[in-house]
Amino acid sequence: MTTFHSSPLQRHAGRFSRLISTVALIPLAIGTCGLALGLVLSGLALVGYPPLAIMSRWVDGSIGGIYPLTNSLADACPLLLTGLAAGIAFRGGVLNIGAQGQFLLGALVAVGLSTRWLIFHSAPPVIILAILAGTFAGGLWALLASILERYRSVPIVLSTILLNFVALYVVRAILQGPLQAGGTPAPQSPQIAPAYWLPELIPFTSFHLGIPIAFVLAVLFYALNQRTTFGFESLVVGLNPGAARLAGIGVSRKQFLLMFMSGCCAGFGGALQVLGVTHFMTGSFGNYGYAGIAVALLGRLNPLGIAGAALFFGMLDTGALRVEESSLALPHAVVNVVKAVVILLMLLLSAYLLGRKLRTRQVDPPPANDQGSDKP
Amino acid sequence: MNPAHENVLTFLARQTVSAATPLILAGIGELVSELTGVIDIGIEGLMLTGCIAAYTIAGATGHGSLGLATAILAGMAVAALFAATTISGRADQIVSGTALNLLALGLSGTIWSLYQNWRENHDLSTALPHGAGYSRQAVGALARLPFFGPVFFDQYGLFYAAVLLAALVWVIIRFTRLGLILRALGDSPQTCQACGIAVRTWRWLAVLFAGGCAGAAGAYLSIMRTHAFATDMTGGQGFVVLALVIFGRWSMGGLILGCLFFGAINSLQQTLQTARYTSHYAVLHALQSVPFEVFQMLPYVAALAALAVLSRNHPGPRQLGRPWPEYTYLS
Repeated sequence: MTTFHSSPLQRHAGRFSRLISTVALIPLAIGTCGLALGLVLSGLALVGYPPLAIMSRWVDGSIGGIYPLTNSLADACPLLLTGLAAGIAFRGGVLNIGAQGQFLLGALVAVGLSTRWLIFHSAPPVIILAILAGTFAGGLWALLASILERYRSVPIVLSTILLNFVALYVVRAILQGPLQAGGTPAPQSPQIAPAYWLPELIPFTSFHLGIPIAFVLAVLFYALNQRTTFGFESLVVGLNPGAARLAGIGVSRKQFLLMFMSGCCAGFGGALQVLGVTHFMTGSFGNYGYAGIAVALLGRLNPLGIAGAALFFGMLDTGALRVEESSLALPHAVVNVVKAVVILLMLLLSAYLLGRKLRTRQVDPPPANDQGSDKP
Repeated sequence: MNPAHENVLTFLARQTVSAATPLILAGIGELVSELTGVIDIGIEGLMLTGCIAAYTIAGATGHGSLGLATAILAGMAVAALFAATTISGRADQIVSGTALNLLALGLSGTIWSLYQNWRENHDLSTALPHGAGYSRQAVGALARLPFFGPVFFDQYGLFYAAVLLAALVWVIIRFTRLGLILRALGDSPQTCQACGIAVRTWRWLAVLFAGGCAGAAGAYLSIMRTHAFATDMTGGQGFVVLALVIFGRWSMGGLILGCLFFGAINSLQQTLQTARYTSHYAVLHALQSVPFEVFQMLPYVAALAALAVLSRNHPGPRQLGRPWPEYTYLS
């Protein structure tokens, strides 16, 4: 059941069915992470880095003590939100690769409001408004891609990727123009006044208010997916748009809404990151949006799984900083290799595990006029 | 060629062709792979792999040709990873391609800092050694033609290779049995299987070809056009290639036109960035208040606009992005 005039990229029935299926979820995820770390470490051993020393410093730098631990959590927060952004969209069959741009715009709007454009004497309304505006900025940027797909048939995969670059240069232009900090030629915003920072829950650490909120949001999304009609319908839309349309679900409207929610999540992450952790913004503001896709896949699009994956990636990033600063001087880019190997291994392992299960149950597709023979 | 004798138009046209060359190279590979039904979103990563492979090998050995060969092989190796997950493992192509981009970003960053350390330890200069980087090669007397000489016949060697390859692939796709098979693979793998064509093997070959092309495009960027490497030096050009294949409606002519259009916008914006300060035309001085980021943004906005105008009602290969054989739904 396909529609006319739609690009093949848009009509993938069941594109992510295998990612959502729960075959051996937790053992597979943990096994994959371990295997990926092992592979990369042995690769590094080949070029002369001692694996054991790296491991011990990495563990020390990510969970050894209150500061490393809170830093890991603070790094997991934006990853969790961009991961949720990717997860919720993918689950509904919308390929939003644009979390990076939405994250950047959320951060930009939040930092703009809290430094230049919106200054009150009391802090809470500014913080709340800045976060809300950042969230909506992300959502609206995402909707742009939806509109391009709906009315001009531009595949969301491509438009979101291109919009990421547009967003990057918009952010840099504004950081060099109206939002530039005094006394520097670099694209850099002024620092947010300490009164407008997100409050620290544990003094002198980076454990800010946004972190528990993000994790609560993950639980809420889990409930939304598992317990509500909305969650069920978006799953149906993702698994089989044709069937969803026949069942009376407004596929296009649902995908618009999912895209908006996805963008809001990413924008929220950007706003929290700038108000809670960095307190100012530069032209290169992390790769959280792209990493979020990896997080969502590792968590197999399940919000609780995504939370776990975000924690793992946060620890990976924070621990790698310690290894980089130590005498070993391991380049930080290795973290990206680990992340990529995790995704590829995850895809390979689940493909082969599930493939074996399927071979015993595979059936020929039923003829078009045959009804009710979808069970083997 | 003395740059002083070049007028603005010649200069712009020459820059356009030069900027379009890596896009054409990578685009040929991507076109073939998409025609067989495999969309390779990791083309950006493959190009980056080519960049770093070419630069480090050429820098270490002093031979540009070794660097080029390594870049092609490295692109094919990473593409093999992609083929193993998506064709043999039937995993999702978009997801796997994203992973490929991340992998290339990480690998190139790691190898680049290892290479820099090695270079420091051996007291080598930070520039490429003599003979490792390519320079422009003029084609005999043709290069002295008034306008076409400098534009088309005084380019880097890979440009000529790209043109020949494009012509060859066009003839193959359009007129031969092999081309029919390639197109059929993307439209109806069922039919191919019924005719006794090994769908997965052919798709593997197409993806490997795309990897080799993207690797060569990366080598063009690092050891030909700039003689330098920078982390993330492809800067989204791979994604632009993806857009251009759709823009050209999966035809070779459309693809090349798109690449030239994109190259023109890119060279125009780069020229404008400096010309607005140096030119004696008062019109251009008015652009001085425009932030240079707006110029950098132009190619991407142009790509989006082109897609929005042209991508209607052309679905492309019918099975693009779908695994073979398809899964039945059990979960």
